[in-house]
Amino acid sequence: MAEVQHSATSTEPIESIWDFVKEIDNWAPMVTGYQQHEKENENDSVWVLKGDLGSVTRMLKFKVHVTEWAGPERVTFELEGINEMMTGKGVFAMSGSSDTGDTGAGAGAAEITRPAEPGFFGRLWASIVRFFVYKVMGRNESRPAQESRPPAEPGAACSELRFSLEITPGGPMGPMINAMVRPALVVAAEDLARDIVARVEADNGA
Amino acid sequence: MSTRIPAQWDLEVDVVAVGSGLGSITAALVAHDAGKRVAILDKAPKLGGLCGYGGGEVFVPNSRYMKAAGAPDSDDAAREYFKFLSGGFNDPELTDKLIATYREAVEYTGDKAGVKWESVVGLDDYYYPDAPGSATGRYLAVAPFNGAELGEWQTKTWASSPHFPPATHEEMYAWGGLANITKWDYEKLGQRVAEDHRTFGPGMMGYFVKAAVVDRKIEAHTETPVRALITDDDGRVVGVRAEKDGKDFFVRGTSGVIVGVGGYDHNKKLAMMHEEAHDWNSATQPYFHGDHLVMGAEIGAEVASVPPFNLAMFYGYSIPGEEHDGAPLWRSSWECGCPHAIWVNKAGERFCDESFYKDYQPRIRQWNGRTQTQDNVPPYLILDTNYRERYPLGSFMPGMEIPEELAVKADTARELAEKLGIDADQFEKTLAEFNEGAREGKDPAFGAGHFPWSNRLAGDPNYPNPNVGVVEKPPFYGIKLSPVGVGINSHGLRTNTDGQVMHVRGNPIPGLYAVGISAALLDLGNAYQSGTSNMRAITWGYIAGRHASGAS
Repeated sequence: MAEVQHSATSTEPIESIWDFVKEIDNWAPMVTGYQQHEKENENDSVWVLKGDLGSVTRMLKFKVHVTEWAGPERVTFELEGINEMMTGKGVFAMSGSSDTGDTGAGAGAAEITRPAEPGFFGRLWASIVRFFVYKVMGRNESRPAQESRPPAEPGAACSELRFSLEITPGGPMGPMINAMVRPALVVAAEDLARDIVARVEADNGA
Repeated sequence: MSTRIPAQWDLEVDVVAVGSGLGSITAALVAHDAGKRVAILDKAPKLGGLCGYGGGEVFVPNSRYMKAAGAPDSDDAAREYFKFLSGGFNDPELTDKLIATYREAVEYTGDKAGVKWESVVGLDDYYYPDAPGSATGRYLAVAPFNGAELGEWQTKTWASSPHFPPATHEEMYAWGGLANITKWDYEKLGQRVAEDHRTFGPGMMGYFVKAAVVDRKIEAHTETPVRALITDDDGRVVGVRAEKDGKDFFVRGTSGVIVGVGGYDHNKKLAMMHEEAHDWNSATQPYFHGDHLVMGAEIGAEVASVPPFNLAMFYGYSIPGEEHDGAPLWRSSWECGCPHAIWVNKAGERFCDESFYKDYQPRIRQWNGRTQTQDNVPPYLILDTNYRERYPLGSFMPGMEIPEELAVKADTARELAEKLGIDADQFEKTLAEFNEGAREGKDPAFGAGHFPWSNRLAGDPNYPNPNVGVVEKPPFYGIKLSPVGVGINSHGLRTNTDGQVMHVRGNPIPGLYAVGISAALLDLGNAYQSGTSNMRAITWGYIAGRHASGAS
């Protein structure tokens, strides 16, 4: 089993984070390797992502089933690979004001805990979370673009987003597949974070 | 297309190595060690050429590595075996030079370039024990290479190949071969991948690239395709016109230009014409377009060939959605070497020993002169559920559903035949006949499982006949197969015993050498034996590098 955990603070209120997270269509196209997703109902969706497994690029198809919508505090979900042998489960947990706002990198910086072997889907979802974090920190989609806010002061964070994901790769090759995708996904996650920051900064006229 | 000497060269060296596969890079090493200034130019974004994607086996009879492993051999036996392989389609002078030099060349790379060769203990020649002079243990492979030793070139080389696992040969066979791939030690392999320790072709080329660009600091340019050879008024090749960053990049080579750009696997027109196939795909990286033939033709180089029907062309498939280097990934099908798998033609008949590609290749190409057709094209891979419960199909492990776009699935043999459009009556009859023998581990019709090489590579050692098992458990699966090249082409530039390219008038073209697959396979003839391509690349690279440097 592989596990990945992220936590981040934001100057945005918890409701803003929730408003953004609860609508998959808001963020789906920004996910690394995104090809398409289809919502089957409120709780179920099927995703197709393009990802590198060593020197091979493959289409990865998996189901996401939300097991609990407990907004604005929590969303829990399960994953099941369709053409990959994997299962997983995860939680987005959002909480109100905390004293963890000053991370040394300005309000809203993400603090990421990486396990030694997070695996392909762990990396992938890590990049999703990173997107949430930076997106919500910078400017919520529901807020008009021209509305500006002063820079947050240290300790001014008013909400925290925590994310955890457990992935159990199936099949005999799981350990090797995990290792094969790591380099590409690290780069992909970093690219995504950089792109998002750049977009957020542009949106805010930085 | 200019081949004139430019007013100003962008780079001036003594020897220009075009391509960075085994042949070119060995020539570059040898020339550098002889005191020459060398530059390497490669079209691809990474160094290593075709070899950086391959199996990494080097066939070197009677080597010191073989002796150290305790495997008996002799030069006379090797000569007999090469004669057998050639089928009489070789140039004896080239074969003699190859045999006389390959040990020296390969040992040079071990001694001077730090390549850690190891004998692959117990692996048989393709035709062992039938062929005269055949033996066991002639293959070399490298010890795992640490990619971190490449420094900035670590990401500009192929760290892995989609066609070979990150295991060593020794591990692969100790773990039961490809048929038992689901039972391998993937914790160990995962660790190896995580640490970028490379095996097979990627590992082998790691050593060579390190020796060239890290240890010797030979100047190398990737994404720099060579477009034309430049000759002086006397017809001597004195440099090349390459393309770099969208502009001409003129490189002078005062002592010679060594062309080792592989073959033409990704030039469909050339491949279909020269390899005599109606369809063509390739398992190689998409950078081999026959540039050597085009550039050679422009200055009168002679093209020579060996028969295409018994080289290393395979049949295989492409899994929808799988790509590499931005192109569809084609896999050669080794499934037919496992039990519970056969091939049939449109008539529903088997036609070959599916476990031995040296048997199926010429039989697939068999021409029916009465009907003007190739009756065995296309072949269909047939699997039953016994197979699916035990062995993978490409990247689909047992238990994973195979998509309809790849394989037809049916509950009965007849239904499968009808869905595939093959003769259902004959197909049922074929299965019944095959299964009758398979129950006793025999294949009276074509002798599948006869060769130890086939047993070891793809066979399941848990079976009386590692390559044969009944095909009877529904549901059944069928896949229409297509030709899949692996970069070993029948046509290339004719070279002499110094590796020089020959002019159509019969004289060597001064300053021009061809190595690897770019040089016609006249030294081998109508033969392919795993590891001979890498061996001849190193050997002719060694010969050409020395000759261009004036060291021979």
